[in-house]
Amino acid sequence: MAFHKGDVTLSEVEGSCIMQGKSQQIHIAGKGAISAIGNNVAENFASLRNLQTGVSKITVLTTRYAETLPAAEVKLTNEELAARCGLNSNEPRTALFSLIAAKEAVTDANIPDFKKWRTGFVSANTVGAMDKTETIYKYFMEDGNTNKLIEEDPYDAGYVTELVANELGIKEHITTISTACSSSANAMAYGARLIKSNQLDIVVAGGCDAMSRFTLNGFNSLMILDTNPCTPYDDNRKGLNLGEGAGYVVLVSEKVAATLSKKPTTTLSGYANANDAFHQTASSPEGKGNFMAMQGALEMSGLAAKDIDYINLHGTGTPNNDLSEGIAVQRIFGAVPKASSTKPYTGHTLGACAGIEAVYCILSIENGIIFPNLRFQTKMKELDFTPVTELLQNIEVNHVMSNSFGFGGNCSSVIFSKAN
Amino acid sequence: MTLYINGIGCISPQHTFDNSVFLPEVKEYATNRLACVDADYAKFFDAGSLRRMGRLMKYGTAAGMIALRDAGIDVPGAITTGTALGLPEVSQKFLRSLIEVEETIVSPTTFIQSTHNTVSSNIALLCKCFSHNNTFSHKGFSFESALTDAQLLTLENTDNILVGAYDEVSDYKYAAMKKTNELRQEPCSNLDIYGAQNKGILAGEGAAFFVLSKEKNENSYGSFIGNKTFYKPENKGEIRNHILSFLQENHSSMEEIDVIITGISGAKEVDETRIELNKNLFTTQTILAYKHLCGEYMTSSAFAFWLASKILKSQQIPDAVILENRNRSPKNILLYNSHKHNHSLMLFKAC
Amino acid sequence: MSELIDTLKVQIIEQLNLQHLKPEDIGDDQPLFVEGLGLDSIDALELIVLLQQKYGIKLANPQDGPLVFKTVKSIADYITEHKK
Repeated sequence: MAFHKGDVTLSEVEGSCIMQGKSQQIHIAGKGAISAIGNNVAENFASLRNLQTGVSKITVLTTRYAETLPAAEVKLTNEELAARCGLNSNEPRTALFSLIAAKEAVTDANIPDFKKWRTGFVSANTVGAMDKTETIYKYFMEDGNTNKLIEEDPYDAGYVTELVANELGIKEHITTISTACSSSANAMAYGARLIKSNQLDIVVAGGCDAMSRFTLNGFNSLMILDTNPCTPYDDNRKGLNLGEGAGYVVLVSEKVAATLSKKPTTTLSGYANANDAFHQTASSPEGKGNFMAMQGALEMSGLAAKDIDYINLHGTGTPNNDLSEGIAVQRIFGAVPKASSTKPYTGHTLGACAGIEAVYCILSIENGIIFPNLRFQTKMKELDFTPVTELLQNIEVNHVMSNSFGFGGNCSSVIFSKAN
Repeated sequence: MTLYINGIGCISPQHTFDNSVFLPEVKEYATNRLACVDADYAKFFDAGSLRRMGRLMKYGTAAGMIALRDAGIDVPGAITTGTALGLPEVSQKFLRSLIEVEETIVSPTTFIQSTHNTVSSNIALLCKCFSHNNTFSHKGFSFESALTDAQLLTLENTDNILVGAYDEVSDYKYAAMKKTNELRQEPCSNLDIYGAQNKGILAGEGAAFFVLSKEKNENSYGSFIGNKTFYKPENKGEIRNHILSFLQENHSSMEEIDVIITGISGAKEVDETRIELNKNLFTTQTILAYKHLCGEYMTSSAFAFWLASKILKSQQIPDAVILENRNRSPKNILLYNSHKHNHSLMLFKAC
Repeated sequence: MSELIDTLKVQIIEQLNLQHLKPEDIGDDQPLFVEGLGLDSIDALELIVLLQQKYGIKLANPQDGPLVFKTVKSIADYITEHKK
């Protein structure tokens, strides 16, 4: 990617807003989502309001644990998903989700002369084509049979992104981020930075992931899956439920925003990426990385902690995550604002979670609504706050923080603000 | 924005991990699969942390640590990396075990290492780097995206960024490449792959890391001026235009370029465009090739970045990489590489 | 008992990739975690896998880990107690 495409010169970029710290606003022109609680944004919104969970018995994925480990699956077969988006049903399930949600976001943005702008696609996923490979791999193990192998490596995350970029007609800048559970938060941040540095005008950013036996067994081997629907931030929480889906936003520059007939409601006002540097999978007891990510995002947005009206917590439901995140939240906020985890609705969708939750945060701002932390019962004894337990409506929501923390200590926070 | 290359670390199928020498001897392979030469990992990790690391985790982490030590930096300002395929060998070890035991009891260690961000986070863990940590996994754009990330970070006032890339050939990938007839079929030496009649590539792998800084110092190898990626060019003319406009955007020109590092792979069918550019556009430059040393893989441009760094600092070009010698002193180097639909350009200058 | 302890040491070294150790380097009563052998939470999960695979014993609650996996001897005691 050139740093100075077209008429922008090196010195202009160097002297641009980034260096002076007053960067241009990143507007969110469109959004799209598919998850266990809905195949589009409207269906997700209805389920969120109706307190309708997506966690249930596994019926789509073939696994030994179908009866014993609940999960939040999108209850559509690959053929049904393919019919909705026009891709071949042989393509990875991850790509089918990605195209459905990204297309919805682009359609929602309804940008005049979309092709005229410099547009990027920054997508995240963690499993790539694993759902295809884990089935084919046994032939390879049996006799090294290469005839049934697919060319795509199980972990070729970029394969999924290119399939979708081709369908969206995006060519200018394409990349994939894979930082475990914080992936799609980092995709949105990277997209925003490409716009701020004047390399691109529009970035479709977010992430996708499908359920696989690989991840289900992996999280099970870490003994952090709840055998019941998960209960984040509850003193009796036992672990997480896996989920699947995709979530994307269309980030646009101020210049593009000015051309839109439907004015963007929300801006991406802050983001930060930090590393906990404590352990490969576990969070540090004091949530150092979590704290730094939240603090960095606040600093960029120019907001004070008290300005945040709602925190969409990472809140996976594992004993370790919720404790570390909770402690870090208390340290940053003192008096903790309204907060909830929406993972009791969607499960933990890994590379998709920050994308899907971004859509929920925007819905919260647009509609003055805060979604509850379903199934919460008992306050954690280590914490002073409890999450929101009922749907809150008709309230002013101006600034929302969303947290996403992952394996490898990757911690990212993003802040969405009501557009002026 | 110019960034100085102040530290390098490279583990590859050649002897590249020792920064005090520059390709002292070229390792010859008689197979179509090139594997990394091991460094002495005990120099970098204690036995306790080494015991769990898979092959690529060792290469990747060690290459990162070599670059940090070379730059004399304990904690970088940020870590950003590219890996097209993550850690396929440990991931497939986990996959194999869960298939074998039909999902009953699987051990977690390989799963923990299966996420693409394992190497960059492991380096963060070892050097206690709490700042920005990113991993791009996009085929032939993985390393390039990490470089763009590093450039953005510099504009955002971060300095001394550790940027790198790593990939390995897994047994599965090797089998899949065989199936698609991408690999060199007939037995041949890696030192003789650019002949006109050759078909197929050598499967390769490697890890290379760099410390990029705003300030030049006595250890600086050279400067990294900029990079550019383009996707699915429609024809040769478009590729040519991208190259010329890239140079122009970076206030350079074809005349100024002394050395071209080309991603020519030895596979006649995919090298056609590269050969034509060598004949028609790169007419006065010394042309270098590198994929006979490290093989073809999606982040091989990081090996080429290492090669450019060594050439700029030593002002020497090893005979083993010269395809066409026009006896120019290596001050300005242009890299053009491509992997299927992913094309990339990078520009370097001597300090 | 001492035979079980010796077998366990070999199995622990294999399961946890402790190739830098020999069975005789691990004391029967030496703490395995933190200050002792320096094992961590991932090793605890691996030991749970070991008990299940080699002895058919399922440690359902990971919270019991610290007590059961305190030393090689405590693991041997647990196995003797729970093996049918």
